[in-house]
Amino acid sequence: MPETTPLGTTGPIKPILSDEERYKRAARQAAVGAATARFLMWATLMIGAVLFMLPLYIMMVMALKTPAEVSGSSVWALPKVAQWNNFNIVLTNPNAPFFAFAKNTITIATLSTLGVILSSSLVAYGFARVDFRGRDRLFVLLLSTMMLPAAVTRVPTFVLYTKLGWVDTFYPFIIPAFLGSAWNIFLLRQFFRSIPRDLDEAAILDGANHRIIFWKVIMPNSGAALATVGILSFIYTWKDFEGPLVFLNSPEKQTLELGLNTYRSLRAEQWELLMAGSVLVMIPLLVMFIAGQRYFVKGIVMSGIK
Amino acid sequence: MPLGGDDGDDGRGNPMKGLLKAIAIAGLALFAALAPAQVRLRLSVWDGDEALRIIRDRIVPEFERRNPGIKVKLENYPDYNLYHQKMLITYAAGIAPDVVMMDLNFQRLAKRGALLPLNTFWEKTPGFDINDYYKEIVDSHSYKGVCYVLPRDIAPVGIIYYNKKAFDEAGIPYPDGTWTWDFQERPELREKDFLWVCRQLTKKTKAGKVTRWAYSNGWPEIWANQVAFSTGAYPVDNPEDPTKVLINDPNYIRGYQFASDLMNKLKYQPSVSELTTSLMATGQQLFVQQRAAMYQNGIWEVPNMRKMLKPGSPDFFEWDICLAPAYGPASTNGKRVSQTVTGGSGYGIMASTKHPEEAWKLTQFMGGEYAMTEMAKAGIAQPAIKELATRPGVWCPGPETPLEERYPANRIATHQAVPFVRFAPTSDLYPEINNLAIKGLELLWQGKKSAKDVLTENQKLAQDRLDTLREEQQLAPFNWGLGGLVALAIIGSILFWVYKPEFGRKLTRMETGDNRAGYRFILPWIIGAVVFATGPMILSLLMAFADWDAIRPAKFRGVQNFVEAGTRDPFFWKSLQVTFTYTFWAVPLGIIGSMLLAMLLNQKVKGVTVFRAIYYVPSIASAVAGALIWRRIFSKDNGLLNNLLYGPNETWPVGKWLTSIYEKPDNMVDWLNNEQTALPALVIMSLWGLGSGTVIFLAGLQGIPQFYYEAATLDGANNWKKFRNITWPMLTPTIFFTAVTGFIGTFQSFTQAFIMTQGGPNGSTMFYALHLYNNAFANVRMGYASALGWVLFVIILIFTAFQFAMQRFVYYEGDSR
Repeated sequence: MPETTPLGTTGPIKPILSDEERYKRAARQAAVGAATARFLMWATLMIGAVLFMLPLYIMMVMALKTPAEVSGSSVWALPKVAQWNNFNIVLTNPNAPFFAFAKNTITIATLSTLGVILSSSLVAYGFARVDFRGRDRLFVLLLSTMMLPAAVTRVPTFVLYTKLGWVDTFYPFIIPAFLGSAWNIFLLRQFFRSIPRDLDEAAILDGANHRIIFWKVIMPNSGAALATVGILSFIYTWKDFEGPLVFLNSPEKQTLELGLNTYRSLRAEQWELLMAGSVLVMIPLLVMFIAGQRYFVKGIVMSGIK
Repeated sequence: MPLGGDDGDDGRGNPMKGLLKAIAIAGLALFAALAPAQVRLRLSVWDGDEALRIIRDRIVPEFERRNPGIKVKLENYPDYNLYHQKMLITYAAGIAPDVVMMDLNFQRLAKRGALLPLNTFWEKTPGFDINDYYKEIVDSHSYKGVCYVLPRDIAPVGIIYYNKKAFDEAGIPYPDGTWTWDFQERPELREKDFLWVCRQLTKKTKAGKVTRWAYSNGWPEIWANQVAFSTGAYPVDNPEDPTKVLINDPNYIRGYQFASDLMNKLKYQPSVSELTTSLMATGQQLFVQQRAAMYQNGIWEVPNMRKMLKPGSPDFFEWDICLAPAYGPASTNGKRVSQTVTGGSGYGIMASTKHPEEAWKLTQFMGGEYAMTEMAKAGIAQPAIKELATRPGVWCPGPETPLEERYPANRIATHQAVPFVRFAPTSDLYPEINNLAIKGLELLWQGKKSAKDVLTENQKLAQDRLDTLREEQQLAPFNWGLGGLVALAIIGSILFWVYKPEFGRKLTRMETGDNRAGYRFILPWIIGAVVFATGPMILSLLMAFADWDAIRPAKFRGVQNFVEAGTRDPFFWKSLQVTFTYTFWAVPLGIIGSMLLAMLLNQKVKGVTVFRAIYYVPSIASAVAGALIWRRIFSKDNGLLNNLLYGPNETWPVGKWLTSIYEKPDNMVDWLNNEQTALPALVIMSLWGLGSGTVIFLAGLQGIPQFYYEAATLDGANNWKKFRNITWPMLTPTIFFTAVTGFIGTFQSFTQAFIMTQGGPNGSTMFYALHLYNNAFANVRMGYASALGWVLFVIILIFTAFQFAMQRFVYYEGDSR
């Protein structure tokens, strides 16, 4: 039988190691391996980061150029003299009053985000963890509301909002947000369904009802998911262009993204101002993302479950 | 005590009462006479920063000063396409502005009665004479002999910007506008022959590489149309009501071929990829950088030119404009035969206005002397009133004009160009016809196909489409009673489908409690769905069987919309194919990419918080700015992507390999202008937005309790086993979510194509949703667009159902099992 071939007749003789030595060597190898892996990951992230930053570099550099440089110099070239005044122009342009527009944008984005988080988590809880009649098929209906292109329903929706007296107000962006958004409901439903049942079963034994489970078990354990929904819907509303353009009329009610387009009009583009404005419009979001980061990477408090 | 009392004894029974009343009436009348009731008018424009400043700060206040009874509310929608969409929608909803900026796209509204005819107003306005305006632009803003738009400017493209230095160097006199062109160079005419001038102005290296072009333009059709129109060709038989598409006319083909030859054979003009992939119209850039000696475009480039060519600055050179050359073969006997395209805009009155007289006053003012003078002084718009265009100091520089505004000195050329303008067809059917007429022209401009091949094929497509659109169909009005019943039946059957499995199922007490609690939780969505989603969705479903433009009453079309889509719509199958290809690349790549990225960003690596922000930044960048930057990244020469693929000397193997596939024989890949690479380019661009998906996956990773990993480590599991048995199953709900919503969203995507490629080249990025959007708003065929929308709905529904059926791989930790 091949398995019983006597050892030692051919091949090199293996050194005999003590258990301790073997353990040390394994540990050393593991440490080197981990360090290498970490470095590789870091290098990958670094290369990717450079690629992801390049378009941004172009944006920033262009924001600091003169009109002549924008058209005359290479995209990569730094401005001869940084035109910080471009930012000043954007901030003080009476045609697109930056701070007034920022106030409108913040109002819309904050209120609608609040609405989305609140309503979507309630609805998502219902679909994820409560058994009610027709639940799964109603969920299909919920998803199906996302499947029809918006262009098709735009006219009837606009007529509806007109009848409600909502045109040229912020209501079209806020009220529907408080009535749930399908995308966010689906996202939260997925997260809620992943939270282990152990805790709410314990709570139910203690006599808790769904309201208590929702507020005391699910919400505190969903920090990451809620932060995600919050940040994504805030940014979506912040960047929305078509919605405000269609539903708002008055110049004083416009949003930042609309204001940016003042620099992009047909045949009279002002690229350097457009880029400066884009940078300015982006900064609050970036600050919010960095500040909010710790919530969605540390949000979960699962240690209580076991 | 009631004042006024009964009508019967008024003023008789009580003299005091009558007196009071008389005083009151007299007072009111006096008040009304002294301070007429304020009329508020809404005025909408699509102007950008500079024009807007003049309208808001100077023109509107001046109008209000002259008309104390009228207040104007200025509304600005700085996006040309959405502006027109908004005018249509607001009119349909009955809340349109009173006076609106309009251009050749007016027919869409005028034909449907949404704009008031202006003739009736000006006929009874003393002192107003429409003959003060250029007849050409008034005519082109008329439909069936009635004018709907009072022009504010006219913009002939028949002018050429030229670099005086280049002419000096070549030793030829500056062009005075009396020059001509012919299909062959005519050296005997010397500087009076355009091609001869071009040859003198072109600079080449010894190897034959052009270092300075003679001529460039804003877009290649400028020259092509100029040649075609001048030889008597025109794309359709009747600009406002076409029945025949004539782009296969020999003169038309010859003109387009000549335009291509100018770039690809004669090399007097840079190739088209440089004109389209860069951030701005590169033709202008080349001119400003003195790499092109002449540049043809409208006068609207002047404010930009002035900004870039400031007298005294190092980049400055002497420049001016002149009339574009005329067609001058021997047969014309020196008579000027030239036709150039043109644009222009003006103001119209929406039919829904409650104050037509005041609206006319505003229109007349906006398209009148004062407003035009203000716009002209800023160099923004050439007045549509002849006398203003020629009066010194208004449009043409006068003695008072400051140095900077003196360029270009020969501004009278714009006036001289007017008799030779030819407007693009104004029919509201034309946008769609034109989409087909210009399909694949990129290949002509790149020299890969002949004008004959492209235009002959396009003519068939366009003619067929025109025939379809013109078909006079005897359609019955839409039966709304029946429609309502059908709607109810649909809602009923949906509810039946939802609750059918519940019939006869008895609930225990605990289940009853759960049932009630469940409905309380989802109540917000039910309200939202009933109030905001159901109505518009059902209406669009009904309209899928109708001929409807949102303004006129709908007519019943049966299944004809669907039949048309499947059998006669030239973009239907193509756009489905494009959308499927894009979706099946972008969604999986996006999911895998963002999942891997999230796992990397979840490691304890140095600076990971900074990395997270960096990778997310593109997702928060403004879409408009992003699109502009991406155009530069994909541009053929000096674009970032090609720099990375081809290396500094264009020798790297990846690049060479790409060239061997896409751009034989030796060009670098021209991403957005190549039929095969435009869609992949958009996929690459979509990956830039990985950040959003990454954030979702990061949240998903946080949902995995840490002690699972600790327990696995204790059991001696390696990293792969941990991934396979913990990370993967716990991430499946997130993967499922990103897959389902990714497909739903991507099937409907069109923004990228809308701002990057407009569906080109040759329809290779014509997304289904873009085609749908064009039908809904550019062609105003809402009924047909609804049908397209519901076809897509069904496709997505089937696809989603399939994904749900495959859901077994998804593991929900919280499901009781």
